[in-house]
Amino acid sequence: MVPAVLMGCSDEEALQVDLSKRKTLVAPRQVKAITYAYLPQYSHTISYQRHRQLLEYLRKFTGLPLRQIFPDTFDEHIKMVERGEIDISYSNPFVYIRLAKVGATAFAGIVEPSGNPDFQGQIICRRDSFDIKNISDCRGKRWVAVDPESAGGYLFPLGLFYDNNITVSDFETVDFAPGPGGKQEKVVLAVHAGAYDIGTIRKGTLDVVSGKINLDDIRVLAETRLYPGWVYAARKGLDPEVIRVISEAMFALNFNHEPDREILASAGMHGIIPVQDSEYDPVRELVGKLGLTQ
Amino acid sequence: MRLFPRLRFRNKLNMGMAAILIVMALLLLPMVGYMSAQSLVEESKMRGSSLAASLAVRAVDPILARDFLRLKNMVDEQSRVQDVLYAFVQDRNGHVMAHTFQRRFPVDLLTANGVGENGALHIQLLEDGSRRMYDFAVPVQVSDGQLGVVRIGLSTTRISRTVQHQITLMAGLFAGALIIATSIGTYFARRVTVRLGLLRAHAEEMLTGNLNIQSSPEGGVHCWERRNCTLTECPAHGETRRRCWYIAGTMCPDCDNESNFQCRLQSCRACSVYRQNAGDEIQDLAETFDVMAVSLKTHINELRSADRNLRDQQRLMRTILDMTPDRVSLLDATMRYQACNKSFADSVGVPVPEVVGKTDFDLFYEVEAEERHMAARDILESGRRIDTQIQIKDEGKQQWFHVVCVPVFDADGRIDGLLRTDRDISDIKGYENQLIQAQKMESLGLLAGGVAHEINTPLGIILGYSQLLQEDVEPDSQIHGDLIIIEKQTKVCKKIVADLLGFSRQTDSAKREMCFNNSVLEAVSLVRHTFRLDKVEIMTDMDDRYPIIYGDPEKLKQVWINLLTNARDAMGTDGGIIFIRTKLDTPAGIVSVWMADCGVGIPKDKMKNIFDPFYSTKAVGQGTGLGLSVSFGIIEDHDGEITVTSPLPEGFEFPECEAANGPGTVFEIDLPLDHQFHEGSSEA
Repeated sequence: MVPAVLMGCSDEEALQVDLSKRKTLVAPRQVKAITYAYLPQYSHTISYQRHRQLLEYLRKFTGLPLRQIFPDTFDEHIKMVERGEIDISYSNPFVYIRLAKVGATAFAGIVEPSGNPDFQGQIICRRDSFDIKNISDCRGKRWVAVDPESAGGYLFPLGLFYDNNITVSDFETVDFAPGPGGKQEKVVLAVHAGAYDIGTIRKGTLDVVSGKINLDDIRVLAETRLYPGWVYAARKGLDPEVIRVISEAMFALNFNHEPDREILASAGMHGIIPVQDSEYDPVRELVGKLGLTQ
Repeated sequence: MRLFPRLRFRNKLNMGMAAILIVMALLLLPMVGYMSAQSLVEESKMRGSSLAASLAVRAVDPILARDFLRLKNMVDEQSRVQDVLYAFVQDRNGHVMAHTFQRRFPVDLLTANGVGENGALHIQLLEDGSRRMYDFAVPVQVSDGQLGVVRIGLSTTRISRTVQHQITLMAGLFAGALIIATSIGTYFARRVTVRLGLLRAHAEEMLTGNLNIQSSPEGGVHCWERRNCTLTECPAHGETRRRCWYIAGTMCPDCDNESNFQCRLQSCRACSVYRQNAGDEIQDLAETFDVMAVSLKTHINELRSADRNLRDQQRLMRTILDMTPDRVSLLDATMRYQACNKSFADSVGVPVPEVVGKTDFDLFYEVEAEERHMAARDILESGRRIDTQIQIKDEGKQQWFHVVCVPVFDADGRIDGLLRTDRDISDIKGYENQLIQAQKMESLGLLAGGVAHEINTPLGIILGYSQLLQEDVEPDSQIHGDLIIIEKQTKVCKKIVADLLGFSRQTDSAKREMCFNNSVLEAVSLVRHTFRLDKVEIMTDMDDRYPIIYGDPEKLKQVWINLLTNARDAMGTDGGIIFIRTKLDTPAGIVSVWMADCGVGIPKDKMKNIFDPFYSTKAVGQGTGLGLSVSFGIIEDHDGEITVTSPLPEGFEFPECEAANGPGTVFEIDLPLDHQFHEGSSEA
């Protein structure tokens, strides 16, 4: 009785609802739109966050109904491009090579936050790893890389090792950063902790972790050559006018312009520039050199 | 109304504890219930918020990927959480993407709640008939964009059930505490009340006069035992009824014996004897009670002794005051009598107790009262002592008093009253007058003796010549008759002169053993003839045992002749009878003679003066007034006593007398038979 009285004495007023009035819900029909997908190297949330403003900008600028979609895997992404479910694909150069095989065409590339359109990978080790003085010293060591599909974090350094006559089998172990998201940072932290002798990362990652560790403890052993960066590709059969309009809108973004800078920074890029498919031949060469099956 | 005061103390304690617990329960249960409910509500809100927020975070990816299966799994996971009634996810347009309801969706929920302003969490209390639930609406946000809303419904049933459980538990705890407290309280109250009852019984004992009781528990170690104290003169040594800290003037070196009881007790608190023997307040009370009983007994004994002394003193004082013939009285400052003795009370004719509070005007006649009042006022004003003699005439009787009035001072030195003593000095005054008269008579006697001695010689010559001349003249001649008259009157003069000389001369008594009757009869024979000429007959009734006394026959004869002469003179010219009776009283050791006449008698007012020298009722020339005075002196010289009674007392058996011309008079002379002392004293 007392609790009832107490609850009754509460100053909160209850809203009367009738839970017996029910109906079957039907999902509304999806509006037709140009689909935009970001290669799922991060979670959907990160992907959404990074490209939400860019898509908003493109919608306003082009007047086209753009909708970002979120494939779960690289393969799904590639297949959706192939099936025409993704109109505009934003992927790394390795994935693009595969997309190009299914008819996609590169029409824009990004300028890295460093200001260059190209990017490169880095081999790092602990500063106190005195037995590792050059690339050849990496032989027989424990290697941690970002992801098998990572360009700067694995494939570019793998090519560098290849050029120095070191193959995967020459390492004691080759592991990849565990779990979703933040894989580049995880590599740095694994090397810093001494769990691995060397690590491979995309250049610029050390700046990201500067607040977490003392960068003096890390030594950059070598850097790969420059390769073209991330690329926008249109699916096969997409209206060229759409490509043109979107391209123009992308190229119009100016990092020095405050609103544009916010859009570009949130997407992790410095600018968007026109590219040709041939600019990705070095990547194709690397793939061929490493014998990777596409 | 009077029920509560009559309840036993034990029950009052229990009722008090129970009342406290019940009041606490009544106060705390709603408070605890309310606080618990509020806390649980808040906790439930936080829990619901957390669930909803968690779901909102996890729902981002499925929403973006439009993965309905994952969303469905997520909301279904929520429904498995206790108290969660429902969960569903809405997209940014409000369309429900996944929910936990079987089959159809309750449409009221769509509009029942929504996220608050700025996309904040919003909690809405919903009520559906018998149930209440909190609806949590959390936005599904990515960066600053909102993808949709997550809604979770949390039942309040668990909150109510938990509160109910807590209150039931609390009520049980209170009930248990009530039982335990009452039991423990009863136990302690009984222990306390038993001790209090013992104290009360002892108090009643004390009221009945029994002070030899001990309320405090016996036993314990006494200071002199614990310390092996040898100071037998210490008041605490050997004391078993009182603890040492209640005893003043102990000689323990650790004690503070200078201060009062509280300060002394303070010094005792560190003492091991105190720590071992001191008890709770009731023991303190009992011990104090015992000390009080001992002190009371001592005081009562002292008071009884003092009362006895006081009563003895009062009785002694009253006896002294009452036995003294002086009239003692005490007046206060308002001149009202505060006390008096019996003599004073008798003098004013009022009992002693009734004198208290009265004034002089209540006790005395106006004139005397005025005098006393004025005198008292003068003393009270001046503080001077009065020491005087006053004469008071009461119904013709004159009395002399020696009056002493002294002021009485109080403790501050102020006059608080006065003490008056009236001493009757009438006898002293009489003696004083007699002394004056005696001294006058002594002077007169010396003068008369000298004169008589000078006159005696010419009288002898006159007598001799008158007798010689009688021989020279004719016996029947006028001259012879004149000479006889001269001779007779000269003899009278010589008799007077001889009396004067006898009165004034300090002659040594010539006492010897003599026959009392013969002494009287010799005097009778001397005057019998002469008296017959004056028609006076002398009759005798002599004791035939012939008592022998030790005396001066001549002087005694003079007494008898004086008395006989006075008797004859009292009968005038008609004559009469003089009756003489002697009586020997061997047991009393006296012999008495009564000489009675049937003369004119002696007036009562003159009775006391008849033995005064030169006092006489006779005409001038018929008596000198020395006879009875001389006789009185002779009888006193013989250690006898002479008294006079007039008229004759009844039963005197006076002989019949035809010529009686008055009520008559009788002189009684008692003389002692025992003369050994007088011989001894005379020899000494």
